[in-house]
Amino acid sequence: MMTNIEISKRRSRFSKLFLYGILVLFSVGQLFPLVWLIDFSLCKSGDLFGANILKWPDPPQWNNYVTAWVDGNIFQYFINSLIVNVSAGFFTVLFSLMMGYAFTRMEWKLKKSTLTFVLLGLMIPIHATLLPNYMSFSYVGIDDSYLALIIPYVAFSLPQAVYLMTGFMESIPRSVEEAAVIDGCSILRIVFSIILPLTKPAVVTILIMTFLNTWNEFIMAATFLSSNTFRTLPFAVYNFAGQYASNYAVQFAVMNLVALPSLLVYVVMNEHITKGVTDGALKG
Amino acid sequence: MHKLLRDKKIIAVLVLPGLLVFTFAVFLPIVLSFYYGMTSWSGIGKPEFIGFDNFRKLLFHDKTFWMSLRNAIFLGIGYIVIQHPICLAAAIILDRLGGTAEKIFRTIFFIPCVISVVVTSRMWVGIYDPQYGLLNKVLDLFGLGALKQEWLGNPRLVLWSLLVIIMWQGFGWGMMIYYAGIKGIPEELYEAARMDGASGIKLYTSITIPLLQPVIRINMTLAVIAALKQMETIFLTTNGGPGNASQFLANYLYIKAFNSFEYGYGNAISVLFAAACLIAMILLNRLLKREAIEY
Amino acid sequence: MKKATGLKWISLMLAFIFMISLVGCSKPTPAASVEETPKETPKDTKVTIKLFTNLPDRASRQGKLEQLLLDNYMKENPNVVIEVEALQDEPYKQKFKAYASGNQLPDLFSVWGQPSFFNPVMKAGYAAELNAADYKDYGFFNGALDGFSMDGRLFGLPRNTDYMVLYYNKAIFESNGVKVPTSYEELIEAAKSFRAKGIAPIAMNGKDKWAISLLYQDLVIKEGGDQKLIYDALNGKAKFTENAVLKKAAEDVKLLMDVKGFQDSFVAADYGAANNLFAQEKAAMYYMGAWEVGMDSNPDFSDAFKKNVDVVPFPGLQTGAGKNTDLLAWNGGGYAVSANSPVKDEAIKLLNYMMKPENWVKNGWQEGLVVPGQKYDSFLTGNETNLQKKLTDILSSSTSISGTSWNDSLTPDFKTASENISQELAAGMLTPEQFLEAADKAVAEASGK
Repeated sequence: MMTNIEISKRRSRFSKLFLYGILVLFSVGQLFPLVWLIDFSLCKSGDLFGANILKWPDPPQWNNYVTAWVDGNIFQYFINSLIVNVSAGFFTVLFSLMMGYAFTRMEWKLKKSTLTFVLLGLMIPIHATLLPNYMSFSYVGIDDSYLALIIPYVAFSLPQAVYLMTGFMESIPRSVEEAAVIDGCSILRIVFSIILPLTKPAVVTILIMTFLNTWNEFIMAATFLSSNTFRTLPFAVYNFAGQYASNYAVQFAVMNLVALPSLLVYVVMNEHITKGVTDGALKG
Repeated sequence: MHKLLRDKKIIAVLVLPGLLVFTFAVFLPIVLSFYYGMTSWSGIGKPEFIGFDNFRKLLFHDKTFWMSLRNAIFLGIGYIVIQHPICLAAAIILDRLGGTAEKIFRTIFFIPCVISVVVTSRMWVGIYDPQYGLLNKVLDLFGLGALKQEWLGNPRLVLWSLLVIIMWQGFGWGMMIYYAGIKGIPEELYEAARMDGASGIKLYTSITIPLLQPVIRINMTLAVIAALKQMETIFLTTNGGPGNASQFLANYLYIKAFNSFEYGYGNAISVLFAAACLIAMILLNRLLKREAIEY
Repeated sequence: MKKATGLKWISLMLAFIFMISLVGCSKPTPAASVEETPKETPKDTKVTIKLFTNLPDRASRQGKLEQLLLDNYMKENPNVVIEVEALQDEPYKQKFKAYASGNQLPDLFSVWGQPSFFNPVMKAGYAAELNAADYKDYGFFNGALDGFSMDGRLFGLPRNTDYMVLYYNKAIFESNGVKVPTSYEELIEAAKSFRAKGIAPIAMNGKDKWAISLLYQDLVIKEGGDQKLIYDALNGKAKFTENAVLKKAAEDVKLLMDVKGFQDSFVAADYGAANNLFAQEKAAMYYMGAWEVGMDSNPDFSDAFKKNVDVVPFPGLQTGAGKNTDLLAWNGGGYAVSANSPVKDEAIKLLNYMMKPENWVKNGWQEGLVVPGQKYDSFLTGNETNLQKKLTDILSSSTSISGTSWNDSLTPDFKTASENISQELAAGMLTPEQFLEAADKAVAEASGK
């Protein structure tokens, strides 16, 4: 083992440099467009038409952000996004937990086929449901409300969540609950006070997947919502492009403001999100 | 115990809420779409039943429908041939790095994935803009002004330009999945291979990639499905244009329903669209053998 | 493993819902989330009117005028609250159809008085009938209400007169020594000169597609001098492939494309992008409607641009039978009230208030924001901007007027198809011959229904 390491040491310094080079190149590719976006959001609108790739904002036009914040309705949209996504995450976890338990522990006739039915949802494209959902939502009278987003977000997150949850629950030994049953606990108590704490990792993964999939969701939000009262953050950009068609700098500022919250969450919760994504992706 | 676990009332309490929501928002729409797909409804007034006319027209007379499918296939191939090798390579390199650098790069690569598609799509419209766009300016900077293009305006180029946007947006996801797969390979296997004299790239071709087969399979399936489902980026950049050169099924059905008032027709597209996704999924599972999605 | 900080409150929330579901489990369907519908019920005094408009730019142009009138109305009627939802044309139309399919149209909404848009709406009874007698003194131009009426009943009001013109930038023309075109041939020459100097000749919102199909009709008018010709082709009295004028006009479009008459990537440029390009003085000309009359008073634009912008009628061909004064003009944009609106009467009242000559017409004209669809000569102040004066001249000296443009004259699907092929013609994806064939096919399909 020692010899192996020594042999590769000489080579590895060289190749490591090379590898770094590649990664830096990728990073520039991934980040530079964003830098460009931020840069010109601080310039005057006309600066964009100059010859420079980047331009030192002198002085920075913070005003663009003020306009963006106020006229872009950013705060209200942000609160709406928060309401919709927290609810969607909450109900997805709740339903998948309950269903997961029923699918793995309980005994009933249609168990298998019901599970397959739900998992079939993994294959149904969101966009194929846009038109009929718009109609049924207006028929029930929940179009243009938070529910018009929460319901489909939960519904489309469920198949994967149920899949993750059942997978995870299978791995929990039944002996834990058996003791509880003997103590006379009800099933619901078992699910929420015994199983729930044990499924924490799955819950986190489900929350993260739901967040990533719904926070930035756009097409349903654009189709089902019409009042500013309920609109979510991504819509600000779309809306604003029309209102400030003639001012690119302010448009860029709105885009940055819309991107900011999820970016912050990502940076703060980096480890969890990475784990959530990998778990979710590999198992879903 | 068994009696408790068979309590129908409890089962109903546990399953029904989720199942109802799911049925209402995912399953019912498909049924509705099927019904409306057999009408010539304009979205206004009463639907008129016309049987399978819409489906027949779609399959046999609608060039745009096939164009959309063709574009999806192009995108899917683009994913598999271009994006995924890059993702895989990046994941392998990342894994070799270790330490803080690994974490930093991993974080950077995933950043575009947490930003709304609305933001990134509009940003790319800006980047491609021939008048003020970043891309043409960068080309100028390197003295490559001759390569300047109408990135989104040229019907022959538009798909490639879109492919770049979509790959940029999805790079982090693809990489992360490979990365997770690589992390799942036990270190002992590498050690054993090293003992056998394998090193460098060979170590990866003989250990990593074979062991990643299941992950690669999942990623391929995801890629094809993602290609079929593509909508937001298209909707927000070219809206299928010029002409229908960059049209995709989801966007096409949206245009048909909401621009042309061909609501019945749009629903027919929805049904075929869902069917196409289903068929692709089944075919891929067959093709790639073993259970790519293991339920 | 690191401890998740958010987990605690998640568990708390779950515990909370657990308790709720315990209570709720006696009910057969605990899907409480589906049941409640937050519907606003207007209080006795408060009236909320929802306005859905295609004028998202509330700080300039018509959007500013609309907002001004709404604000005034709310000031005069403190019990009325007006909620505005504004989207750009294309998203507006998509959303409008989403509303219509759910029979959920807002109380007052923008419409286009054109068969492709408004006929299905009127037919389905979604628009409230207006009392034509109310508008006797509103001074609408002759024929202005036609597109908003069906079987002699009136369902909407136009807010302006639309006609296509060619805006241009005086300074760019002067500094490059190019002559302002008075004929299509000169326009082509001008485009060539600008291209040679690396300047985008004409700003075109090609992504929206309709402007290109209007250009085609403009050229048909100018080639043949017959406003009816293109409509004959829509009625089956003529064929695109067989008529020399219709064919020549398609070739004329191609001619302009051959010299790259529009900016690069024009097919990817939406309304804002093209408008911005011209306003940033990066394009020499701009083919657009008279509704851009406010460009030289728009506070968003630079003073230099406002000084330099000017307008001419779209120049016709020297060889053509049409004159530059034969206009592609119609009364398009307007408003209608939802027939199902719970506040229908209030909405009509608001509409009538807005369209009163002393409101829409006077404010719109004097602020330089619109060319109204109503008589505005009594509101002339003599302080009109250059664009206002020129556009008034162009309209008043017009020798013929087209009415609703060809792409809007049949079904909605024909609109999509005809605009699509126009874009494809301009993008070089269709030859003029293929374009004409496709046009005939689109007509056949539209009339087959």
